[in-house]
Amino acid sequence: MIRKITAILAASLLSVLSFAQTGAGVKGTVVSRQGRVPVEGARMTVTPESGAATELTTPADGTFLVEGLPVGRLAIHVTADGFMDVDYNITLDGEFVRDIMFVTMTPAAQIQDVDAMNFAEFDMEDSGYSDAPTILFTSSDPFNNIAGYGFSQIRFKNRGYDSESQDVLLSGVKLNDALTGYSPYSLWTGLNEIMRSKDSSNGVDGSDCILGGFNGTTNIFANPSNVRPGLRMSVLSNSATYRLRLMATYSSGVLDNGWSYAFSASARLGGNDWIKGVYYRNFAYYAGVEKKFSNDSRLALFSFAAPGQRGAQNSSTQEVYDLMGDNMYNSNWGYQNGKVRNSRVRKTFEPVTVLKYTAKPSDKFESNTTILWRTGRNGYTALDWYDAFDPRPDYYRNLPSYAYMADEDYNRVNEAKADWLREAWTGRTPDYLNYQHLNWDALYNANYNSKDGRSHYAQEERRVDQNDLNFVETIRWKPAENLNVNAGASFRWNRTENYKILADLLGGEYFLNIDSFAERDFASDPVKIQNDLDYYLAHGEAQKIYKGDKYGYDYYADVRKAQLWARGNYIIGSLTANLGASIGYDTFWRTGMVRKGLFPGTGTSSLLESNGGDITSKGRSDVSRFLVYSAKAGVSYMVAPGHKLILNAGYFNDAPTFNQSFISPRTRNTLMDGLTTKKTASSDLSYQYTGNGYNIRLTGFWTRIKDQSDVMSFYDDTQNSFTNFAMTGIDQRHAGMELGAIVPLPVNGLSLSAAVSWGEYIYTSTPHMVQTVDNSAEIVRDEDVKYWQYSPKYLVAGYAENGAPIYDQAVNGDYKIESKTKHYVPSTPQFASELGLNYNRNYWFLELAAQYFANSYLDMNPLYRTGYACAGGDGIETPAEVEYMTAQEKFDPAFIMNASIGKSWYVHNNQIGFSLEISNFLNNRNVRTGGYEQTRLIKSENKDRYYRFDSKYFYMPGASYMLNIYFRF
Amino acid sequence: MKKIFAIISAFAALVACEEWEPVFTGEYEPSERYEAQQLTPTHTIQQLCKMYSTSEPWTIDQNIIIAGQVSTDDQTGNFYKSFYIQDETAGIEIKIGRNSLHNEYQPGQWIYVKCLGLTLGMYGYKSGNYGGQGMVQLGYVDPSGSYETSYLESPLLVDAHIIKGAAAPVPEPEVLDEKDLPTSKQCQSQNRNVGRLVTLKGLKYANEAFVLLYLDSQKDTKLSSNRIFVSDAAWGITTWAMSKDRMKEYLHSGIWDEINVGNANDYNYGKVGDHRVVATDGSVSYPDIQKSAYSVSQYFKMGQTEIQLRTSGYSKFSDLEMPADVLAGRAVDMTGILTMYQGSIQFVVNSQADFVYSDTGEPLYK
Repeated sequence: MIRKITAILAASLLSVLSFAQTGAGVKGTVVSRQGRVPVEGARMTVTPESGAATELTTPADGTFLVEGLPVGRLAIHVTADGFMDVDYNITLDGEFVRDIMFVTMTPAAQIQDVDAMNFAEFDMEDSGYSDAPTILFTSSDPFNNIAGYGFSQIRFKNRGYDSESQDVLLSGVKLNDALTGYSPYSLWTGLNEIMRSKDSSNGVDGSDCILGGFNGTTNIFANPSNVRPGLRMSVLSNSATYRLRLMATYSSGVLDNGWSYAFSASARLGGNDWIKGVYYRNFAYYAGVEKKFSNDSRLALFSFAAPGQRGAQNSSTQEVYDLMGDNMYNSNWGYQNGKVRNSRVRKTFEPVTVLKYTAKPSDKFESNTTILWRTGRNGYTALDWYDAFDPRPDYYRNLPSYAYMADEDYNRVNEAKADWLREAWTGRTPDYLNYQHLNWDALYNANYNSKDGRSHYAQEERRVDQNDLNFVETIRWKPAENLNVNAGASFRWNRTENYKILADLLGGEYFLNIDSFAERDFASDPVKIQNDLDYYLAHGEAQKIYKGDKYGYDYYADVRKAQLWARGNYIIGSLTANLGASIGYDTFWRTGMVRKGLFPGTGTSSLLESNGGDITSKGRSDVSRFLVYSAKAGVSYMVAPGHKLILNAGYFNDAPTFNQSFISPRTRNTLMDGLTTKKTASSDLSYQYTGNGYNIRLTGFWTRIKDQSDVMSFYDDTQNSFTNFAMTGIDQRHAGMELGAIVPLPVNGLSLSAAVSWGEYIYTSTPHMVQTVDNSAEIVRDEDVKYWQYSPKYLVAGYAENGAPIYDQAVNGDYKIESKTKHYVPSTPQFASELGLNYNRNYWFLELAAQYFANSYLDMNPLYRTGYACAGGDGIETPAEVEYMTAQEKFDPAFIMNASIGKSWYVHNNQIGFSLEISNFLNNRNVRTGGYEQTRLIKSENKDRYYRFDSKYFYMPGASYMLNIYFRF
Repeated sequence: MKKIFAIISAFAALVACEEWEPVFTGEYEPSERYEAQQLTPTHTIQQLCKMYSTSEPWTIDQNIIIAGQVSTDDQTGNFYKSFYIQDETAGIEIKIGRNSLHNEYQPGQWIYVKCLGLTLGMYGYKSGNYGGQGMVQLGYVDPSGSYETSYLESPLLVDAHIIKGAAAPVPEPEVLDEKDLPTSKQCQSQNRNVGRLVTLKGLKYANEAFVLLYLDSQKDTKLSSNRIFVSDAAWGITTWAMSKDRMKEYLHSGIWDEINVGNANDYNYGKVGDHRVVATDGSVSYPDIQKSAYSVSQYFKMGQTEIQLRTSGYSKFSDLEMPADVLAGRAVDMTGILTMYQGSIQFVVNSQADFVYSDTGEPLYK
């Protein structure tokens, strides 16, 4: 190590000494965009306009110096393993050595044809979850490299943040969903080869094309010239999601005439070994063309989409999983004429078209102008029923616990009936299948029985059809040798139509466009139950709905976002400092397309909006407007070659999303009261070391998020009504560390890799909630969710004769609290780790990894943290009730082992290879990855208290294989 | 290239056929229609009812099969979670315990009940001189002791005992004379009209209603302090029953302010009017009294016999105003199920179409 450093120093010294030679020259350092770490072993070709090319390879510190060059234009081409090729054109004005400072290389996601990483990025997302977990893009960063794929199975969320916080860009355009903020990976699933080249940053750090937030940025280039040249084909089979993937990609690379072309097509088909009913019939295509002009400017046009459909998974309670003897049981499907049919199918076709122009008037200035348009349809089917029994097989009344509970206070004492219910779930002959799964034949027969042809059961398709138009301009400017400026402007126009269509009448002739929830309360009022009151008033009857018709609800969500940002990067010796800020304006509103009987907006309803206006369903809502801004600063200091310290900090003031702002967007124009921006302060401090095969990063981070809002709708047993629950003032704090390390071992080709993420992500506020009845907008509760932040444990003074605790009380009668248990941000392990052993030699690779995950918590439902849920029917909160009702469930830790092997061969200049991964080979089938609490309450025998409904969970699949065979021509 | 195809084929062969079904079709043939079954009954409904002895719910330990046609329709919501079947000897309620039963058990359809393992019990019996019979029902054992039978509920339990036969038209209601009506001591075992679909002619409004309100149904509904009996007079109730909204209107109008809170012999909880709150803007509310749909008994007379017309607050016709001429005494013919509750006749109709004027034969609601 010391010897190497001495050698480098000597080499540098020599190069300084040789500075005295005549002619022009160029010098600088080849660095990775990822943290500006020097790139060792980069191969550089320097070609002057006249004269011979010079080739060299960079040493460990990434520096280079070429001298004896003629004055004039110069082309520099740099290649390095794991990075995308870089081309520079510079002009040497005189006979001196020009310092171009940095040649920045973008890490191409590690080019190892495992393909596993890309697989995770695109295919782990599951429609059973409301929010696809944050998948980190792999890069040369040691932590992300491991966590990005390795932690995806457990649905690890980077630093505990929602996927909303991660900026995902395509061609420089931020594509996070305009309505929810969720990451948009599903737009390009199946185009792994095309979307492989990308540039990413971590945490609070920003990137060249966006100032970014606090959870990293990823920019996928996606233009044809960035796709690896050649023809590639692969066949992949796996047992955890779909059976077969076929993929073919061709890219021309940049041809001599400046044109590049790229095409890709793929199909993902079949089911899997673990979750029945989940299947894929997904396709994807991409076509792009790009022209590089003589003045180095480029124009690219490309379009892609991932059309198809796939069956979704559902969560169930542990009681159901235990009865079925299978934690992967899926209640979404059942048999129809003996064939498996899934009721919940995601159907999408959302083409994205991009036109991008890059201008480079000088080597100090680059401008990128991008227009991106997303359109198409996104549907999700579900069963709908009217005047019919709940068809879900795992409906709580179909479970033994509904008839019998050992605790007599539940007043469920019918053991004989519980036996019948149990038998239906545990019988293993075909006679029982229709009790354990959706009984499609029964649904059809119910519709056949309908006297007037009206379907009682139907399949609906909920549509969220986006039109998303983006204009983005970014510039890179180098006004001085040690100063880089990135800046940009963006405008987003989004109009999304939310509605549902009738997908299948299931043997009936028509469906009726009335609101069955409203009918529960207003059965004898034909006006109030209309989904489309205008139709009813015009025709004197509710609209009959046929296959493909819109019904239920129909509204547009309009979102406009404009932003300006700039960031400067200043270099003083070993110190690099950056400063950036953004300012923007976000607005959104709802436009109802149908007049709902409950909220006609004709001045007839007794309730009003909080601003005194009439509650409306049709027409335009108030417009929400938010000024948003953010600021960031960072310094990085090269302590010694390869050793670096980086400190970043930022403050972000972000608008709430459309979906968090409307109380019940399907029925009315009402916005949540007290809507405000979300304020985030975040900072992280990292130490990095790269060199000699080592790659280590250690980061500490701290983030405080304030004033988040959330809205949910559920049936409230205490109100006997479907209600909306609008929560404001949710604060969180995320603090922790992450470590990534790749360490070479003394045996050639063998290395050790490790990743650890350890943090504490907690709720730090007592939010406020307003609960309204969905059918009337009547406010029924307006109070704090007082046990959101913690669960109290009360001081016990002693025990009664029957063993019941007697709680200690203060003079004023309040129960004394002994301790408070924090409530945690859910659905991610707050401790995640992996230790891997890797062997990589002679085109063979072998990997063995052990993982340990802990401190994962269940998503909390705010109802159970209110005073009234704790009080029960008698209105008195007792310590036992509060302790029971407010506790947050912590999942058991999980230990998992994965192994993979791969090899490639060259045959007549063509490459063929395979990789095989066995994940979770210890076949651990008890790993909970997420879930949620139901919002229902059970009344105790004498109605003095409430009990919770059982929670629902998702599990990780057991041992699974993935085999990929690929060819390159 | 051959090799590549070989590999792809090998992959395809890995896959089970069932897994590919939705992948390649995505379309499904409509389900086949269920075939009607037929069993031979061993007992008539009355024979079965006679096997019940008062206050002794019997879990049937014999291979008894009864047959009958469905006589009720829960589509309007006036019957809920159960249906009646009838033969020539009587009618009986089968306590299924699921809603929207008309989707599965159509009015008129033949039903066979394998009674072994089910429980025969009575609902609505009251001992003593002022009491009388209730209704014999078929359900499941109820170890909680709240009732003599519980709902079947379990789909497997239902399917194992309730067998669907052929569809048929709804049985023609028999027109009863006053003398055919059951006495307070008669149930299905003694009177073949009990539990059956019948028509009662010439009913006249008796200017009396009965409703039991609760202050808070989340609390113990048996406590006197939680109960309000709207009874012994009409109390301004002019609908067949009341939805939540209609109940609020009645309450807020103040017509019940003089009614006592409490049970018979325990009226120490003030009056309804004590809970009246007038806001600064003049709006009236009764925050302490539970707003929800309530069932109503409207009293009619058939000759000298009192008939309580019992209607659910959740039925779709609950808020229909009773026509003014009916309230004024114009006679109505009604078709419905004749049931007994504590020795009184409670009559339950399927829908508002079951009300017609006696003199013209015109329906009350068109």
